[in-house]
Amino acid sequence: MSAPAPTFQGLTGARLKIHWTDRIGNLLLLCAGAALALFLLAPLVTILLKSAEDKSGLFVGLANFRAYFHTRSLALSIWNSLWVSTLVTAITIPLAFTFAYGLTRSRMGFKALLRNIALVPILAPSLLAAISFIFWFGNQGLLKSWLGGGQIYGAPGIVTSMVFATFPHALMILVTALSLTDARLYEAADALGTSAARKFWTITLPGAKYGLISAWMVVFTYALSDFGIPKVIGGNFNMLATDIFKLVIGQQDFPKGAVVAIILLVPVAVTYLVDSYVQRRQTALLSARSVPYVPKPSPAYDWAMAAFCWTLAALMLAVLGMAMYGSVVKLWPYNFSRVLDHYRLGLIDAGVITSWFNSVKMGFWCATLGAAFIFFNAYLLEKTRGIDAFRPFVRLMAVLPMGVPGMVLGLGYIFFFVPASNPLHFLYGSMAILVICTTVHYYTTTHLTALTALKQIDNEFEAVSASLGVPFWRTLFRVTVPVCLPAMLDVSRYLFVNAMTTVSAVVFLYSPSTTLASVAIVNLDEAGDIGPAAAMATLVVLTSAGVCLLYHFLQVWLDRRTQAWRS
Amino acid sequence: MNEYLELREVRKEFGAFVALKGVSLAVHPGELICFLGPSGCGKTTLLRIIAGLEEQTSGTVIQAGKDISRLSPMKRDYGIVFQSYALFPNLTIAQNVAYGLVNRGVARAGREARVKELLALVGLPDSGEKFPAQLSGGQQQRIAIARAIATSPGLLLLDEPLSALDARVRVRLRGEIRSLQQRLGITTILVTHDQEEALSMADRIVVMNQGVIDQIGTPSAVYRDPLTPFVADFVGKTNLLPAMRVGDNRVQVGEQRFECEVDCALGNGSGLRLFFRPEDVIVRGVGGATPNSAAAVVEKVEFLGAYSRLTFRMNGIEQPLFADLSLNDMEEFHVKPGDTMRVAIPADRVRVFAAAGT
Repeated sequence: MSAPAPTFQGLTGARLKIHWTDRIGNLLLLCAGAALALFLLAPLVTILLKSAEDKSGLFVGLANFRAYFHTRSLALSIWNSLWVSTLVTAITIPLAFTFAYGLTRSRMGFKALLRNIALVPILAPSLLAAISFIFWFGNQGLLKSWLGGGQIYGAPGIVTSMVFATFPHALMILVTALSLTDARLYEAADALGTSAARKFWTITLPGAKYGLISAWMVVFTYALSDFGIPKVIGGNFNMLATDIFKLVIGQQDFPKGAVVAIILLVPVAVTYLVDSYVQRRQTALLSARSVPYVPKPSPAYDWAMAAFCWTLAALMLAVLGMAMYGSVVKLWPYNFSRVLDHYRLGLIDAGVITSWFNSVKMGFWCATLGAAFIFFNAYLLEKTRGIDAFRPFVRLMAVLPMGVPGMVLGLGYIFFFVPASNPLHFLYGSMAILVICTTVHYYTTTHLTALTALKQIDNEFEAVSASLGVPFWRTLFRVTVPVCLPAMLDVSRYLFVNAMTTVSAVVFLYSPSTTLASVAIVNLDEAGDIGPAAAMATLVVLTSAGVCLLYHFLQVWLDRRTQAWRS
Repeated sequence: MNEYLELREVRKEFGAFVALKGVSLAVHPGELICFLGPSGCGKTTLLRIIAGLEEQTSGTVIQAGKDISRLSPMKRDYGIVFQSYALFPNLTIAQNVAYGLVNRGVARAGREARVKELLALVGLPDSGEKFPAQLSGGQQQRIAIARAIATSPGLLLLDEPLSALDARVRVRLRGEIRSLQQRLGITTILVTHDQEEALSMADRIVVMNQGVIDQIGTPSAVYRDPLTPFVADFVGKTNLLPAMRVGDNRVQVGEQRFECEVDCALGNGSGLRLFFRPEDVIVRGVGGATPNSAAAVVEKVEFLGAYSRLTFRMNGIEQPLFADLSLNDMEEFHVKPGDTMRVAIPADRVRVFAAAGT
């Protein structure tokens, strides 16, 4: 090595030069982060500010909160929301756990069919269950006599409807948790002569612990923040989510609405924090060398499990079926003829059907533009380099929506976009704002799906491409996107179905020209048109189911065309 | 000499952790140089800095007379092969190999010819239409090399390229990669934690330990004349004993004295370390007058095929020692556990290091 040649500067203090192609990646990430700040953070901050103002916009500190807690009827809603949500969780989790246990740890037949029946509620707006329970047990319900002198309206109806609506969400998490087990743990226990009960308490339950906690959080949050069910079947029973709606839409009391939103945000945020803490603690239970668990036949136990699962499935079909049946029956319960009147007169002739078109349109844009934004933002976060200081912010924005109830998000949008002083005011009342709000509302789950798919791809693809002088987007479109296509379809389908069924955030944001199917159900029900409401709910279920089928065929077709390399 | 690649005082910090403590190194044109060390020694970090995938905290990287310290990976001239191969799963083998060519505006016919040439070069001429998942690990490895050298880079970087393969394939590929590298004459850096791999493939080995280079030398130099106890211990099997200097060319271990040819110029220091290899222990023709000899009790015999490894205790030394005896020796001397025999370590095979850990 020779000493001269002092002209080389090396790297002291100065940074690595960034290639212009990487600069483009950084710029795109900055734009995505800014968009999330604008459409998530800004509305939430506006709620905080609004809660500290009086109606004329003067700063009043905590006065609104004080006034709120002094209004007994409002403060009572906190208690109502909490105990109803707790009860719903306490009923749903054991049911879903047993059902999931039957699906994963028994040899009963027709597991796929049972699973699909149990997941059907996901395809429906939550308020479908409420409508169905009104048909069964309402004032003119078929089985009203079963309640004795009791009423389905109020807490009983809310709790039962919510159990129906939250069941599949808990089931999915618990099935995954119970599937992730290593058969050799059980073999080791058997070799040591362990009793079945001890195996359950020492292997099964600890293995599913994180799944149980996660399911608990999801159900509790769902029940706490759902708007459709208490609106339809709640009667005079007030909950936080319905209070926000009444205060803002009914009484135009924005500051107090903001206060309720913040109160609603607190328990949801707490459960969210607990959940993310728990998720971090969770280590991979299943290594690549694990042996999947295969249940052994045990007739008595298998039949008991089958009986339990089929009972639940039958109940769920009864709920779903009654809503569909109610949609084809004229003037319940008097006239069982004239089958499609609710659809023809109640929806089409009344012009309500346009809201179904709007919902499909919104679902389409969420499933395309929304899904693309989510996927490419996840890509930029995970696979590009540079602007490292900015990345944690975008990551936070991506997981934050999980902790924000739809009602709160929707209210934030009103506060932020309605003032004419906002240059983005023109968005208010448009289809675009519905698409944006819904995409943001369901951002976290889809972001995590995309992230999981991206993490499964070799991290060195980008490094190899750089060494070959290939800009990142070429590898993105030639390799990353084709490899992630199945996950992208998942994200897209999830967004479409949720866009079809969501009520909470969009109930604040629609305009006369952009009413949505799920919102139309609320309005029809409020007007006493429960038949057409059931018809619309049925239409939504059928649309979601049809779209899921469509995605399934698309997936099969794409698999055949582009996934030949998976062997 | 005109060096192809030069590193000057390259330093890398991750927060409070210093991964590289100012590493300087010169790589000759056309040689295969191995970065060898335990995990966490900084060898992969150093490779990634050369590739521009990691940013050094300070220091200079010069390739072919050009300062590339601040260049982005895309502007540098190298091909890289990762442990995972990182082959694009949805592209065929031919598309993988041609991946870098497409971007250089090589015409279609030229691309096809080059791919054909490269696939023949790595011994997989008929695999162009297959997908990576249809090839074995060793074959994927060779395709990854073909892709890396497709654009004729000046430098080939191999990051633990063989550690994901099973033992047999690994040994075969060592020879193949080495002969390919020599045929192409491409300057190559190989990162590995496998000392056998380094010894069998490299022109020179860079032994790294905790962010510094302990020794740079040919495989035989590193094996025969390790500069530090760490190198002695990491490369090959070793007997390392605490020793004390008791005179010119003389050290004492326990109650046993050893002569050594190369003296340790450290006065009458204690805290020295005495080093010799298991295969340097001899039993043939050892008598009471043989220098550096003593009675030893065999504790364990481990049969390893061509040779056997003995664990034995030498008179006056507490620590168990290792000796490798050939099959012939074993049969001639009927060695079995519990035997007492006389062993010697020739003075020219004994090395003494200064205080431990430096």
